[in-house]
Amino acid sequence: MELVKKVLNNDRASIAKAITLVESSNPKDKEESKQLISSLINHPGHSIRVGFSGPPGVGKSTFIESFGTYLVNKNYKLAILAIDPSSNITGGSILGDKTRMSEISKSQNTFIRSTPSKGSLGGVSYGTREASIILDAAGYDFIFIETVGVGQSETMAANLVDIFTLIVGPGSGDELQGIKKGITEYADIFIVNKNDGDLKLQASKTASDYKSALSFYSKQDNQAAKEVLLVSSIEKQGMDTVIDTINEIIKFNKLNKIFDLRRENQLSYWIKEEIRNQIQSKLDLEVGNDTELFDMTKAVIKGEISIYDVSDHFLYKFLK
Amino acid sequence: MDKKNNKNDQLTDWKKKFEAETKTSSADDFLINTDEDIGIKPLYIEDDIKNLNFVDVGSFPGHNPYTRGPKASMYINRPWTIRQYAGFSTAEESNNFYRKNLEAGQKGLSVAFDLPTHRGYDSDDEIVMGDVGKAGVAIDSVEDMKILFDGIPLDQMSVSMTMNGAVLPILASFIVAGEEQGVAVKDLSGTIQNDILKEFMVRNTYIYPPDPSMRIVADIIEYTSKEMPKFNSISISGYHMQEAGADNVLELAYTLADGIEYVRAALSKGLEIDDFAPRLSFFFAIGTDFFMEIAKLRAARTLWYKIMKDFGAKNEKSLTLRTHCQTSGVSLTEKDPYNNIVRTSYEALSAVLGGTQSLHTNSFDEAIALPTEFSARIARNTQLILQNETGVTNTVDPLAGSYFIEKITDEVASKAWEIIQEVEELGGMTKAVNAGIPKLKIEESATKKQAKIDSGDRVVVGVNKFQNPKEPKIDVLVIDNEKVREDQIKKINLLKGSRDNKKLEKSLNELTEDAKNGNNLLYSTVKAIKNRATIGEVSKALEDVFGRHYATSVGVSGVYGKYFEGNKEFMHVTKKIQDFEKSYGRRPRVLVVKMGQDGHDRGAKIVATSFADIGFDIDMGPLFQSPKDVAKDAVENDVHAIGVSTLAAGHKTLVPELMNSLKELDPKNKIIVFVGGIIPEQDYDFLYEKNISAIFGPGSNIIESAEKVIELISDKNNQ
Ligand code: B12
Ligand SMILES: Nc1nc2c(ncn2[C@@H]2O[C@H](COP(=O)(O)OP(=O)(O)OP(=O)(O)O)[C@@H](O)[C@H]2O)c(=O)[nH]1
Ligand SMILES: [Mg+2]
Repeated sequence: MELVKKVLNNDRASIAKAITLVESSNPKDKEESKQLISSLINHPGHSIRVGFSGPPGVGKSTFIESFGTYLVNKNYKLAILAIDPSSNITGGSILGDKTRMSEISKSQNTFIRSTPSKGSLGGVSYGTREASIILDAAGYDFIFIETVGVGQSETMAANLVDIFTLIVGPGSGDELQGIKKGITEYADIFIVNKNDGDLKLQASKTASDYKSALSFYSKQDNQAAKEVLLVSSIEKQGMDTVIDTINEIIKFNKLNKIFDLRRENQLSYWIKEEIRNQIQSKLDLEVGNDTELFDMTKAVIKGEISIYDVSDHFLYKFLK
Repeated sequence: MDKKNNKNDQLTDWKKKFEAETKTSSADDFLINTDEDIGIKPLYIEDDIKNLNFVDVGSFPGHNPYTRGPKASMYINRPWTIRQYAGFSTAEESNNFYRKNLEAGQKGLSVAFDLPTHRGYDSDDEIVMGDVGKAGVAIDSVEDMKILFDGIPLDQMSVSMTMNGAVLPILASFIVAGEEQGVAVKDLSGTIQNDILKEFMVRNTYIYPPDPSMRIVADIIEYTSKEMPKFNSISISGYHMQEAGADNVLELAYTLADGIEYVRAALSKGLEIDDFAPRLSFFFAIGTDFFMEIAKLRAARTLWYKIMKDFGAKNEKSLTLRTHCQTSGVSLTEKDPYNNIVRTSYEALSAVLGGTQSLHTNSFDEAIALPTEFSARIARNTQLILQNETGVTNTVDPLAGSYFIEKITDEVASKAWEIIQEVEELGGMTKAVNAGIPKLKIEESATKKQAKIDSGDRVVVGVNKFQNPKEPKIDVLVIDNEKVREDQIKKINLLKGSRDNKKLEKSLNELTEDAKNGNNLLYSTVKAIKNRATIGEVSKALEDVFGRHYATSVGVSGVYGKYFEGNKEFMHVTKKIQDFEKSYGRRPRVLVVKMGQDGHDRGAKIVATSFADIGFDIDMGPLFQSPKDVAKDAVENDVHAIGVSTLAAGHKTLVPELMNSLKELDPKNKIIVFVGGIIPEQDYDFLYEKNISAIFGPGSNIIESAEKVIELISDKNNQ
């Protein structure tokens, strides 16, 4: 495939086209997309994938601008996938991430792509996983994935990355609730942003709240310690500690085989998801558009048959 | 019969007749809602002006609360100052233009700087290539400033300068130019705009972040209060807010709230209120809502009196609000442009009936380019005729006592006061601005206005009704920015070759030190400028300490879509977009951008959010992008189209550069590029030759534009 070669050559336009392909909702694009990913997966790069999640407006994009600039100045190559949640009634959306990433987007060593999440739950969008395969093959050192953290979404996002980071703001007690509910299970680093100006005091208080909450969490032996870091994205403070922490955790995880284990788990998760998706779309295609379902629904209403008769009937038919 | 009863009978009678004539059920419910959400009644009567909140009907001009004017005699003693805002190309050319205007009867000067100067870049800086001398005059050093005022005695001429971002080096250059002309600092008169808060809200020529910027404002107020007794230290401006889309109440409220914030900043320097408050001046826009504008000016004086009294001011000059006004540029149209002369005349009359101290009237080519000598003359003559032929100067506040005027003056004041209190609760305007609230409110209001025009609910003659089938051809001022840039670079090189670099470096270091230690920055800036530092060098020295500010807002979506809920044309385009999504597996994706130093973002934001409402995926670029950055964004996000919004005349440089960058990054790209904003018709062919697919000028209907864009995108992708 011509596209594969070009992606491997880090051709900007081709990487972009490849991502469009894997994100496409048109069934006709699916075959090509499968081929592309199947080939690229055989050319793995060395990317470390880092997820940044957190509530809206907490400063994720601003953090990525500051932290990314810091990395680019150290000659790292960086790709950013920003999943933008905004979308309105008619389905259109405004992708505003670039207004927060005006410095870093100038660098030749970055590739920045925003994707409208189309309301898909989980903050990750259809195709995000595939996009990170493309970017890995294209040779980026880091792939950052920015997602909005609402409810379930963190689990999904965490399933795509090697390191998962939760960004929080000063004095937001709400997330502390989340901690107890188990965010700690998959967040590796907690970053308290906006540690500047009037907010400084609040920020350090929030950080120590997190630290003490984490102390209740019992760490298994072969697990890296979870870190709480204080940064100011606006004043560009604390970026060195973030990269140091990321590097340490990666090193620890590689040493303890957690790194590979995670990737393996994610792969099997992906496979299952792929199966689920395929069944789902086949199901949608085969069941529901026909008059048979319509008639049987009527029969259920009349009390002639039960809904389980109907669902068993279709399942049997589908599996046949 | 008793007089009162008689009036009541008359009222009942009037209502009956009104209802019969208009075929409505109740005269009491008959209200016409303004943008300010004030219900205008068909008739105002004596009862309406009883128990007003702020207005003291029957108070006198020159007497508190100064509703009727800051002076007792107003225009009888001295008519308002005709002060036309102008500047373009080089200092030499602008100087020439100023001198001609002064000869023709203009009274004061008002300097418009170009965008690189506003943003603290010298003309030789790569990133301002397309902008030098285009939207104002290029000033790189005190040498340019001296040329600008050559032959204009600065001890006699009051000079207004619109400068906010690079206010330190520009005011310093003015001071040094005066000195080198033989005029002492204390004898300089005029006004410096120095209003940074509204830059963050709407005008976009900021340089540093809000906090250090506020400190600079205070430094200048302190310096002028000590050294320049005849100079207005600030022009607290609502003008730009209205031009950006604010209604009159928002404009008034945020302007006065800004004023409060500046007073506090000055007080924090240890000044006494009456040391500086007499030198605070204001600036408002006068749009087409004739009576509302008059009410706004009267309300402004009334509220400012209250605010200053609360601050403990005693000097009458502190207690009175003096203002400059400018007729509205955004009310003027590209279509059938001679209509603009008429619009401007009404607006000018409104400003004068409101009691303005000075006035700028716009030229009829406002929506096309900077004024020509011809259009500028008519704009000026509009005021000369008003002053000399109509008799409006003979009587002070002639509309006082009108039930209607007094009542809406009070309503505007009351509504504005509410918003001012909200801002105070947030902790003042700096905090509100930091939180982005005023900006969003103004953008929301702007989008509503657009929806009203696009739907035809608001008539704009020549645009959405009564179109002229034979648009007239008019002459346009053309500026050769390549040539201006070359000239400026020559002058910069000359300056840099002849100055004492040791002395310069020492004074720049001093400046940096002062920035860190909190000393008043204007003193050290004056020294650096004397030592021939350029505007860019001073700005950079300060930026090294303060950093640069980047705005992040993307506008408010949903407003336009809500207005058109259920509208047929709107849904028709939405449907086309959904069809496209079905065929191509994603929605049509458009990158909307601003390039160069052009900070006009009203149109870009309205179009972006409205397009998203219609169904597009819109990537919104930041302000001040280079064509190269835009190309990179476009390619990485694999957009179908780029919509360039350009209003500050950089298009002939920036658009071709964008096309080249796109080709370089992706030789086979299918990205279509279209352009919106201020494009003189003379430039259309030039742009089409560069492969621009469409041009959307001022007044374009957004739904129609969206349809055209989706068609262009579909065609391109069908190929
Ligand atoms: C409002 C305005 C301002 C406001 C801007 C507020 C803001 N945040 O945007 C304020 C008062 C701050 C301002 C300041 C200045 N202004 Co001004 N301003 C205007 C004015 C009066 C109206 C522009 C406007 O917003 N119209 C309303 C919007 C909705 O319309 P629009 O942008 O044209 O967009 C429509 C179409 O063009 C099209 N469109 C536009 N973009 C796009 C994009 C896409 C994708 C699509 C599909 C369509 C599209 O669709 C829109 C809807 O109909 C124009 C003159 C005029 N009447 O047009 C001067 C004008 C643009 N300004 C001008 C100048 C010189 C300045 C200053 C540089 C002056 C100075 N030297 O200090 C400053 C600096 C501003 C800066 N930072 O760049 C000049 C530019 C001269 C030129 N091009 O040759 C103009 C033309 C006035 C003049 N004749 O002198 N300005
Ligand atoms: N004081 C302070 N403000 C910050 C900091 N980082 C971000 N902000 C501000 O917080 C606001 C939101 O920042 P974004 O970066 O857009 O936040 P986000 O989490 O990406 O937001 P969404 O993508 O909309 O969920 C902006 O106004 C930023 O200027 C910081 O370190 N300090
Ligand atoms: Mg974000």
